Amino acid sequence: MSVIVGPRVIDAGTSLLSVLVSPVPVAAGFPSPAQDYFDGRIDLNAHLIKDVTSTYVVRVSGESMHGAGISDGDELIVDRALEPRDGSVVVAVLDGELTIKRLRITPKGVILQAENPAYPDIEVPALSDLTIWGTAVRCLHHV
Amino acid sequence: MSKPALMRHMPQIAHVDVNCFYASAERAFNPSLEGKPVIVLSNNDGCAVTRSPEAKALGIGMGDPWFKLAPRAKEWGLVALSSNYELYGDISSRVMELLGRYSAWLEVYSIDEAFLGVKGSPAELLAMGRSMKAAVRRNVGVPVCVGIAPTKTLAKLANKWAKNNKAFDGVCHWDSIPAAQRESLLGRLSVEEVWGIAGRLTRRLNVMGIFTIADLVGADPVAIRDKFSVVLMRTVLELQGTPCIPMEEERIGRDQLIFSRSFAKPITTAAGIRQVMSVYGQQASARLAKHGLQAKVLTAFAGTSHFNPKDTSYPSVCVPLPMPTADPVILTKAGHALLPRIVEGVRYPRAGIMVTDLRPSGNQAPLSLFENPHEERHIGTLLEDVTRRYGRGSIGLGHGGIRGGPDWTMKRDMLSPRYTTHWDELPLVKAA
Repeated sequence: MSVIVGPRVIDAGTSLLSVLVSPVPVAAGFPSPAQDYFDGRIDLNAHLIKDVTSTYVVRVSGESMHGAGISDGDELIVDRALEPRDGSVVVAVLDGELTIKRLRITPKGVILQAENPAYPDIEVPALSDLTIWGTAVRCLHHV
Repeated sequence: MSKPALMRHMPQIAHVDVNCFYASAERAFNPSLEGKPVIVLSNNDGCAVTRSPEAKALGIGMGDPWFKLAPRAKEWGLVALSSNYELYGDISSRVMELLGRYSAWLEVYSIDEAFLGVKGSPAELLAMGRSMKAAVRRNVGVPVCVGIAPTKTLAKLANKWAKNNKAFDGVCHWDSIPAAQRESLLGRLSVEEVWGIAGRLTRRLNVMGIFTIADLVGADPVAIRDKFSVVLMRTVLELQGTPCIPMEEERIGRDQLIFSRSFAKPITTAAGIRQVMSVYGQQASARLAKHGLQAKVLTAFAGTSHFNPKDTSYPSVCVPLPMPTADPVILTKAGHALLPRIVEGVRYPRAGIMVTDLRPSGNQAPLSLFENPHEERHIGTLLEDVTRRYGRGSIGLGHGGIRGGPDWTMKRDMLSPRYTTHWDELPLVKAA
């Protein structure tokens, strides 16, 4: 009987640090985290998670973000450390629930937009009236 | 107690801990708990081990048994949760990894608190404390308070002040408080507020005319050693501003054991860390066995030195164990989950493990067949028997197994999802 088969850890494989010691030449521009894996298989954590302390995976329930390619049952990689901007897909706290919306910051105020005409937008007077839980960086869409 | 200018940049100690840790970890994923009285119950849903401020305000005490609170829970709007150690372990490892980025020297003191060595001007230290508080809140999602002082004992005290006095906004730098204000506070607080001083000791101190912290600060350390112990003498010295409580290599908390140390020679390979993990695995096993306990969750961590900012790495992983165990082989293997995060060639002067979700080994007695998983057993027949007796989903194997592993003797009726360690229990976000 096997014990501890691949511990269930949500965690990045390594820090960007090892990029610096990689013997693979790095082209100009932001180094790809893939560089540390010159000797192994693709590690999704290394590609998808920038900061292990601030990254969570959540699951979508509902179709209001359909227009953004995010469907019911998809998983989202959410980074809490990112500063949400106009156009970010964010997880916001609405009525005590984690809710996914497109953030629109306009001169008139802040709008939490659905990406599905069947769902209304929500207007918020200012960003400070809103609790943003995190910013979605990737969608793991089930095709 | 004002410091001469020369002393200002002496190394100081920051004590960081998460406010109402278990309740805060739950709130991070269930914002509807915000503002409500929340308690987290001990293993077996026995008694309250964490209380949110709202629950404290209801008069709920630490250790109050759930069966006494349950009848009034509805009327109070009280939310009681079973302890979700996988969640707490993962949140803890994130907090520690993040704090590790602030200092060369980090001592994981318990699941929710750490000491860090820090240096700088008072303004810089305050800024650093505020930055830690903001970063943990933003990145991980839980609130912390920070106390910074010349010694661990004072840092703990400063943290307490930061928590209890809104003016500090969660960060208190001891030396920045005007001396008069400090002395007046120390003169009002009971010695019981000091780290390591509990009920019986308080009474003995009271007999000697030592009631407040100020009284203790004024005591003669040598006399204290002769009448009490070296431990209490250290406390007095620390209160007077002399650091003398060393890092403890083994710590026993209420619901966790921690083994960690700094190495004279930094470890630079995953193989080296693997060895260290075996040592800790065996230590943890021996200690668990001694107390008749088994653990269900293990956290392993390591850290580099801040003085070498080019090579920084503070890996920390939380590993849910397949079953409650004190088996050194399983504990060691679990610690190996840290290895892929170890960067070869980087110098790690410290590493450690923490085991949590402890329960008496006796709990598993009726099904001791599982106690040694290395032996061949008639698992199939056993699975059937258990399923028949306890219902479908009460037992399973490996990854496809049931939530919580073989936890049938453990009562956890109000367990929240293991949001961060199980793919099928991820937090749900509403798209509506």
